[in-house]
Amino acid sequence: MADTPIIVLLVDSNPERAKIVEQGLHGAAVVKQAPSLHGVELLGVIERLQPDAIIIDCESPDRDTIENLQLVARKNPKPIVMFVENGDGALAKEAVRAGVSAYIVDGLSEKRVLPVVEIAIERFRMFDALWRDLEKSKRDLEARKAIERAKGLLMQKRQLSENDAYAAMRTMAMKQKISIKDVADNILSVASLFDE
Amino acid sequence: MRLEKNQLLIGFVPLIDSAPLVAAKEKGFFEKHGLNVELERHQSWSQIRDKLAAGALDAAHMLAPMAPASWLDNAYGGERFVTGLSLNLNGNAITVSEELYRQMVEADPEAMFERPTSARALKKVIANRLKAGQETINIGTVFPFSSHNYAVRYWLGAEGLNPDRDVRMVVAPPPYMVEHLKEGKIDAFCVGEPWNTLAECDSVGRAIVRSAEIWRHMPEKVLGVRQEWADEFPETHVALVASVLEAAAWLDKRRNRLEIAEILSRNDYIGLQTKALLPSLAGIGALANRKSIIEASDYLIFHRYAANFPWRSHALWFLTQMARWGQIVSPVDLHEIAQGAYLPEIYRAAAGRLGVAYPTIDEKPEGAEEHAWMLSEATTPIAMPSSRFVDGFSFNPDAVISYLEGFKRHNLRISLREIADLHS
Repeated sequence: MADTPIIVLLVDSNPERAKIVEQGLHGAAVVKQAPSLHGVELLGVIERLQPDAIIIDCESPDRDTIENLQLVARKNPKPIVMFVENGDGALAKEAVRAGVSAYIVDGLSEKRVLPVVEIAIERFRMFDALWRDLEKSKRDLEARKAIERAKGLLMQKRQLSENDAYAAMRTMAMKQKISIKDVADNILSVASLFDE
Repeated sequence: MRLEKNQLLIGFVPLIDSAPLVAAKEKGFFEKHGLNVELERHQSWSQIRDKLAAGALDAAHMLAPMAPASWLDNAYGGERFVTGLSLNLNGNAITVSEELYRQMVEADPEAMFERPTSARALKKVIANRLKAGQETINIGTVFPFSSHNYAVRYWLGAEGLNPDRDVRMVVAPPPYMVEHLKEGKIDAFCVGEPWNTLAECDSVGRAIVRSAEIWRHMPEKVLGVRQEWADEFPETHVALVASVLEAAAWLDKRRNRLEIAEILSRNDYIGLQTKALLPSLAGIGALANRKSIIEASDYLIFHRYAANFPWRSHALWFLTQMARWGQIVSPVDLHEIAQGAYLPEIYRAAAGRLGVAYPTIDEKPEGAEEHAWMLSEATTPIAMPSSRFVDGFSFNPDAVISYLEGFKRHNLRISLREIADLHS
């Protein structure tokens, strides 16, 4: 019998991440999304779609609802098991660390399930890394802006050259054991007092 | 005492009965026992289970049945959970929507005046609905392996209702329950506090029966750790249990309940107003009928009645209900699981250190006591409460099979013969 495509239901309230995961699973599975359904509604979607696997954010409170499908199994002939059931749990640990949970219909062969779950884990990680990069560059940009403005103020008020103004800030940072960004913030907040 | 580990991360779910953990942190009991603990809030029980199994948490606020359930079928990647401390007894209630309440009163007014309220009126409502070609009712509980699930099922079963056929059992996280009930997505729920109080306050539903009326002094949450963790860090485990035990004793004093309500109202804990948290903590309970306040000073028990002792008979009772409702699908030795998952010796070591009296037996008959009694099998006698089940049945931990045979209503998926063979 030819393998029919695995149908994955993706439940993620974060649209950017859902997009990344969906792209990653392209070709490996048919992906259906249920972005903002909760509880009983979500159960309805699951019963209608009969997915082979459900990929969901580890933090989602809806996970408890999905787990109850085991009890609905008599109505819904497909029992759901956690993919960690067989095996040493290493994959489960990896998934928890990446923030992804997966529920797989019992009877689906491991050979076909693993790639889907692994892709999901990898995509969650990728999103996490992207997110952290984005946050970091935002912070860097803010720091640079503050430092430039503080430097400008010093140059203007103390008649310092650009290099000397920066050196003065660096010395202050080392003496007080704080970052140059913090020194810049201090200078700017003091300056704002005098401006008023 | 040298601890193997003193930095701990403990997970909890925003509920009133996370109070012993919160009090242990905020009132300095962890610190006193040499522990530096961070508490981490979680949205779902699945997340608590997975993080604990993966070693991302040291310990967790846990639904009591989750510990024995982890020993079934290699369920969580082979990670087994154990507990050396019960966090509380009682604290849940069954709340029905205003509409369902009205229908129940109409169907059988007499049954609705009885205390505890039985499912007799509900049975008639369901029969009427099915006769009229309507769907049956949806009942929400918080997790498949929860005292809530077993309490509702017990209550339905006592009136001959089949929870897997006559109603639709769904699971939703506690903070969503009131909203679901309001929107008509569910018709009833069984949940811990403060959510029943909130449904009553918002006139969304009526709390008709407390879990304590289904089984008096029903065990509720435990402090769970991985079995491997317990083996690796025995001294830390005892220190952890001692800190939370001391916090539980602190919570037992009425005058401390207001203080904990204020602490729990903070956003990093439950994040609801103090006035929503106080009724259940103060022992007023949810009000079934707004004209009469239920006397419920025992609504939430944190310490007295040896409430923190991990009775193996509690674990066993939960296992009988897992079997009864088809959650156990292959024969297992229930006693072996109860002995593995519940660790009274850890409790005794911690209690001994604090000078708290502790039971010297591991099991007791459950549901056998109509009135308050004294437990003499203890370092000093301990006052114990009534432990009645709503149908008057009692559970003898030495007679698991005959107990299971006694239920007319069940959905067993294994043969009792096979379990009996394992036990003999």
